[in-house]
Amino acid sequence: MLAYAVKRALGAIPTLFILLTLAFFLIRVAPGGPFDSDRQLPAAIEANLNQKYHLDEPLYQQYGRYLWDVARGDFGPSFQYRDLTVNQLIADGFPVSLRLGVLSLLFALIFGVTLGTLAAFRQNRLSDYGLMTFAMLGVSIPNYVLAPLMILFFAVFLGWLPAGGLGSWQNYVMPVLALGTAMMAYIARLTRGSMIEVLRSNFIRTARAKGLPMRLILFRHALPAALVPVVSFLGPATAGIITGSVVIETIFGIPGLGRYFVQGALNRDYTLVMGVVLFYGLLIVVFNFIVDLLYAWLDPRVKYS
Amino acid sequence: MHFKGIIGLLIMAALTACGNNNSADVPNQASRNSPLTLADGSTVFRRGNGAEPETLDPHRAQSVTSSNILRDIYEGLVNQSPEGELIPGGAERWEISDDGKTYTFYLRKDARWSNGDPVTAKDYVYGLRRCVDPETGSVYAEILTPINNAKAIIGGELPPEALDVTAVNDHKLEIHLKAPTPYFIGLLAHSSAYPAHHASIEKHGDQFTQPGNHITNGAYQMSEWVVASHITITRNEHYWDNANTGIDVVKYLPIENTESEFKRYLAGELDMTGSVPIPQIEWAKTNLPDDYQSYPSLAVYYYGLNLTREPFKDNPKLRRALSLAIDRNIITEKVTRGGQIPAYAWVPPGVNNYKPQNPEYATWPRDKQLAEAKRLYKEAGYSDENPLEVELRYNTSEGHKKIATAVASMWKTALGAKVVMVNEEWKVFLQNVNTKKVTQVYRSGWVGDYNDANTFMELMHSAFGLNGTGYANPDYDALLDRASMESDAGKRRTLMQQAEQLLIADQPVIPIYHYVGTRLVKPYLKGFVGNIMGHFYSKHFRIEAATKAGSAEKAGMQ
Repeated sequence: MLAYAVKRALGAIPTLFILLTLAFFLIRVAPGGPFDSDRQLPAAIEANLNQKYHLDEPLYQQYGRYLWDVARGDFGPSFQYRDLTVNQLIADGFPVSLRLGVLSLLFALIFGVTLGTLAAFRQNRLSDYGLMTFAMLGVSIPNYVLAPLMILFFAVFLGWLPAGGLGSWQNYVMPVLALGTAMMAYIARLTRGSMIEVLRSNFIRTARAKGLPMRLILFRHALPAALVPVVSFLGPATAGIITGSVVIETIFGIPGLGRYFVQGALNRDYTLVMGVVLFYGLLIVVFNFIVDLLYAWLDPRVKYS
Repeated sequence: MHFKGIIGLLIMAALTACGNNNSADVPNQASRNSPLTLADGSTVFRRGNGAEPETLDPHRAQSVTSSNILRDIYEGLVNQSPEGELIPGGAERWEISDDGKTYTFYLRKDARWSNGDPVTAKDYVYGLRRCVDPETGSVYAEILTPINNAKAIIGGELPPEALDVTAVNDHKLEIHLKAPTPYFIGLLAHSSAYPAHHASIEKHGDQFTQPGNHITNGAYQMSEWVVASHITITRNEHYWDNANTGIDVVKYLPIENTESEFKRYLAGELDMTGSVPIPQIEWAKTNLPDDYQSYPSLAVYYYGLNLTREPFKDNPKLRRALSLAIDRNIITEKVTRGGQIPAYAWVPPGVNNYKPQNPEYATWPRDKQLAEAKRLYKEAGYSDENPLEVELRYNTSEGHKKIATAVASMWKTALGAKVVMVNEEWKVFLQNVNTKKVTQVYRSGWVGDYNDANTFMELMHSAFGLNGTGYANPDYDALLDRASMESDAGKRRTLMQQAEQLLIADQPVIPIYHYVGTRLVKPYLKGFVGNIMGHFYSKHFRIEAATKAGSAEKAGMQ
């Protein structure tokens, strides 16, 4: 087990290295630079800025410098937010995105799995169709439509919830719903599909024949087996959801990490883009690893050595 | 571990994580139209501020969002009144020498930094030198080029100490200009000319703008900065005019999405918005007449024509034909619909000591404009058989796209021109405009930095680096150069107006409209006065305890 973990960790290094290299060169290929604006920048000042951020060095040298900085955990200063470093921006934004992401994930998991299981038990009955129609709607309605509608209804008309910002628990309700609904719907569909399959399998038939109570069959035998596809979906989905969503953050005015992916690229904020991409990549690697460990726990047939 | 156990733990962890409860921000129906007051009785002003400021360093700031906050926490030698008039700020009074080149400022003796240190002439000298020092990397350093030696320092030819600014004593400051610059006093209200607290900058380096480190001399001081969430500033007890600061706490909210900002205003989470989304303007005018505010703005929206390439090179007739073919009224009334002012002149109306020079055809009836457009188009060598094929370039934005569509259609209908619309991402667009290699027609805008025609006119000077049209008319340059040396206001105005007439006749740019600012301001928030600069100092506002019933109630359905 430990050997497996070490092997995986070592395997992640080239992945992240390639990711970093691609991010470094791709963002520099994009036309325009971080200091281009519709204002004139005097030549001497531009030269100074380039020197300060080492943009006047040859590309390979910048690349080497960046690799060395990253190896020491320093993502460098942000070009756009000139008073802050990329480390500060990630350190401020990530906890917010993590909190929101975990809550959305829990919402999606609890409701998605429950609804999916219910639908599977009622396969091809009215309640199944009802639940799956609801799930289909959830998958199809984009959150940039759902979120403003919710704000209009719950904040502007009813005044029950704040329309934006972060401060109290009420601020989380709408963003969590907006962020989690599509995922919940997707999980419900996944769970239903695999649950139907599991319920038909031999080991469940055996359990039933042995006269085990339904509750036990469901929670101890059927659910863990049915959750395997959900878990493999959750790995990358978790990494995605906890690094924030630019749409949700912009609409609700949430100070998360998601906006930096888009703004960083638009502003040619090289260090910020590379920082968040690398951070995201690292999370994906970590969560894929966790998912692999969960497989072994959920499915006794899976063994790592 | 059991599943249920894990889920339970996760829920607990997540709920604990969002435990920093602050019920003050949660609205309810009753509090929607009343101001927010903190437990200790402090009044709070919640301002929508568009976007996260890129910096709060006054000498490196460049965005409107940064400047809004800087105006509250810093103070220059001069301030602006609510109406936008220049009034004494850090300087009690000043004298201008007869040749118009030496300014002597007498500083307030009671001016204090937020830590209690006195504000002295040395702090202004330090701030001005810091701004022009290439090491600082100020985007706006050029605003100080009227000061003797500033240009050479920015260019790296002289050290910052060479700036011709002298602290005669603690409260007397002399600034020497290289030429009389009648609008110089106005420049001093800009953040580039703010003083700086030397000791705290030395001590904290790049981190000097963080709350706790940031020592400022304005009506407010920094107290909290949560990136992308809010910046809170609180009353500076040491400020010389603190007695007249109306509101204790100002919370700036960087809400980029104007629709979100609008909804948060309706939900009672904001006291003033940064703008009003265009699709909501009509609704707001009808349903929130007491809240809706609009005011002319010092900015022009225009189409630039690249004069270094075909088809516009040496072809003023074609340029004018295209200008004549655009129906500005349709654009402002049907497309932008925000009360914008149709523009034929380059300089917006309302600028100090200036009369914008509209071309004669601005007042012609539409038929006559179209007939003239067609005539010029033909004379320029184009016809139905040989139509103009041209690219119209704009940066990604719904608004720009709508205007471009309307203009393309006007050119097609009126002249038969074939217009290809090219949409580009901002940085790609900027690069293309600046290199002038592929652009033909491009959309652009210009926001004045100070209340003088020069802030618009200098953009078209051939020596001004940022001129995407490539316009270079020695006569125009000469008129501007003469105006910059002229100390007589009347003569200077005549020179500037002549230059604008020349510009409009040459038509390297097609002005389309002059901007207006739009905002929603809660009726309980007193002191809002629309001004052409769009500068609203928080210290000029008051919150009236007895609130009028119903701005959002009146709103009802939208």
